[in-house]
Amino acid sequence: MLEIKDLKKRFGDTVALDGVSLSAEPGEVVGFVGANGAGKTTTMRIAMGVLAGDAGEIVYNGAELGVEQRRRFGYMPSERGLYPKMKVGDQIAYFGELHGMSRADARRSAAELLEQLNLTERIGDNVQDLSLGNQQRVQLAVSLVHDPEVLILDEPFSGLDPIAVDVMGTALRDRAAAGAPVIFSSHQLDLVERLCDSVVIIGAGRIIASGTVAELKAREVKQLRVRVDTDQDLGASLPGQVRHDGEDYLVEGADDQEVLRIAAAAGRVTHFAYDQPTIAEIFREAVTR
Amino acid sequence: MSAQNDTSKFRGLMLVAGREIRVRGLSKANLISLVVTVVIVGVLAALPSIIGGDDGPTEVGLAGESAPAMEAQLDAMGGFDITSYDSVDEAEQAVTDGEVEAAVADGALYSEGAASTELQAQLDAAWQAAGVQTGLADAGLSDEQIQQALTVEPLETVSLSEEHDIGGPLDYFTGLIISIMMFMMLMTPVQYIAMGVVEEKSSRIVEILLTSLKPWQLLGGKVIGLGVISLVNLIAMVAVGLGVAAGSGLLADLPEGTASAALSSIGWWFIAFALFGTLAGGVGSLVSRQEDAGSVLTPLIMALTVSYVGAIFLLNAPTSAFARILSIVPPFSGIAMPTRMAIADVPVWEIALALGLLAAAAVGALVLGATLYKRSVLYTGSRLKLADALKRAA
Repeated sequence: MLEIKDLKKRFGDTVALDGVSLSAEPGEVVGFVGANGAGKTTTMRIAMGVLAGDAGEIVYNGAELGVEQRRRFGYMPSERGLYPKMKVGDQIAYFGELHGMSRADARRSAAELLEQLNLTERIGDNVQDLSLGNQQRVQLAVSLVHDPEVLILDEPFSGLDPIAVDVMGTALRDRAAAGAPVIFSSHQLDLVERLCDSVVIIGAGRIIASGTVAELKAREVKQLRVRVDTDQDLGASLPGQVRHDGEDYLVEGADDQEVLRIAAAAGRVTHFAYDQPTIAEIFREAVTR
Repeated sequence: MSAQNDTSKFRGLMLVAGREIRVRGLSKANLISLVVTVVIVGVLAALPSIIGGDDGPTEVGLAGESAPAMEAQLDAMGGFDITSYDSVDEAEQAVTDGEVEAAVADGALYSEGAASTELQAQLDAAWQAAGVQTGLADAGLSDEQIQQALTVEPLETVSLSEEHDIGGPLDYFTGLIISIMMFMMLMTPVQYIAMGVVEEKSSRIVEILLTSLKPWQLLGGKVIGLGVISLVNLIAMVAVGLGVAAGSGLLADLPEGTASAALSSIGWWFIAFALFGTLAGGVGSLVSRQEDAGSVLTPLIMALTVSYVGAIFLLNAPTSAFARILSIVPPFSGIAMPTRMAIADVPVWEIALALGLLAAAAVGALVLGATLYKRSVLYTGSRLKLADALKRAA
């Protein structure tokens, strides 16, 4: 389990992080969501040890995270980087070796990943000769080459075409299924909703909401949506505050069982449920609050 | 655990160095430039013997009254193949036909174009001696008496200066080659190191690298990698240079110590490279774009250029105060001292002092370069001022 505890970081007079905590269980995919400049990248950089925090700690499996363990992590920084004049296969294998693999293992793993990413025929090309999308795939291969124990990915989906998004999404779920904690940041909230077990929302250096997707949705529930097959207007007879939304009635601040009884008395109830907000709505709600 | 850590630390360093060697050392550009330089060094080393021409006897024609006396003198001097002609015209014709290089007849030296200074001096000396001998014989002296009169011990040289042994043209030549090679072998990798650091910084790859490497491994590996490439180039050049010199018989003619001066320059290069290489990495990390690399490298390139130009100047005045100071003060001593050692006998204490100071400066540069690198390599944006970089927390 990876725990990020109470991180604080200032850049000059700017407070970048003000007590950020989040955690990822083995097999859990955590979506890290926030506006630009909210502190996502800073948090991930500190977690990966490329930036020193002013306070707080990173705990992995109950102990302070060390350099050796960190080498078994997979990291994709928000600003992508590869050696432009190095061959694709050599480059992926080089990073595998840097992460402690033997040369043979690194080469084999690089070849396997390129196969999965449909890049096998580009293995001997220089990275600078690849299209931007293909460079992104190589970047993904670089972060996965050493079969990482933990994945920390900063905006892994930005700039990817739909096929690459699927490949990336599958890769993340596969790693999680194999027991790795996965944390990734994204602005594509539909993806976050689809892929994540839990979501952490950061705003201005503080965590403003976190929990499993179901928990967050339940917490943000606002209104009961009722659809009744009837000619009557129930606007006046339903309790609480009632609004019309097309055919539907939106009810707030009332006992749901009473609403159901009145609705059922009026006609056949075809829809009766609390509206589930999307993660995007929850996010907007959270950051504007 | 700690042994394992040491292994992986070392492995990280070597992986970085290995990548530099593979990507840069085996690049076409480097291989071509290596071949070109080796050929140039080989030609330069062979040049003295090519210019010196064949060592066979010089063909000289003689005619006229003085011919027998000249022949006796030239025989005594050795190295001449003498042909006697019956008349001055025949001798002149032989020179025109190229049968002989020069001819002496009736007090005139005939040659196609101007005779070489050396040949002219030799023939002149023989002419004078022959004239004296003829004159003395005419005055009635016996051959023995003439022999005695002409036998004079040459002047013994007694130098009162401490550095008496200033070498001749060959030492000058050796010094020149050493200074040029040292300059090139420092300039090229220094620029490559800075470019490599900026490349990693501008492409942001450094952020991934630093998740599995320490900054010192990244900088150290780069310096070692480019150092190995340069060292291979340097050794190839020294080996070819000395090899060609040995093959052409020049090495035996070279003053004692030339070979050792060439070899010791490798040692000087080591220390100077550690100094300039780590500083280049440190200042390279101050900028985020390739275009800005030139401006931060300027002080290093200036120092190298001053060392090189100073070393060339030093060759002409190896005992001057300037030469002594330049060859002792780091970082200039890195190029200036091996150059000076090639052309003059340098007191051991001066060598030791220069070596000590240069090594101390190299250690200082290692610390400074590594600190700069560590503090500024992840900083992006405009150029980081030196003072700001030093103030920044790691």
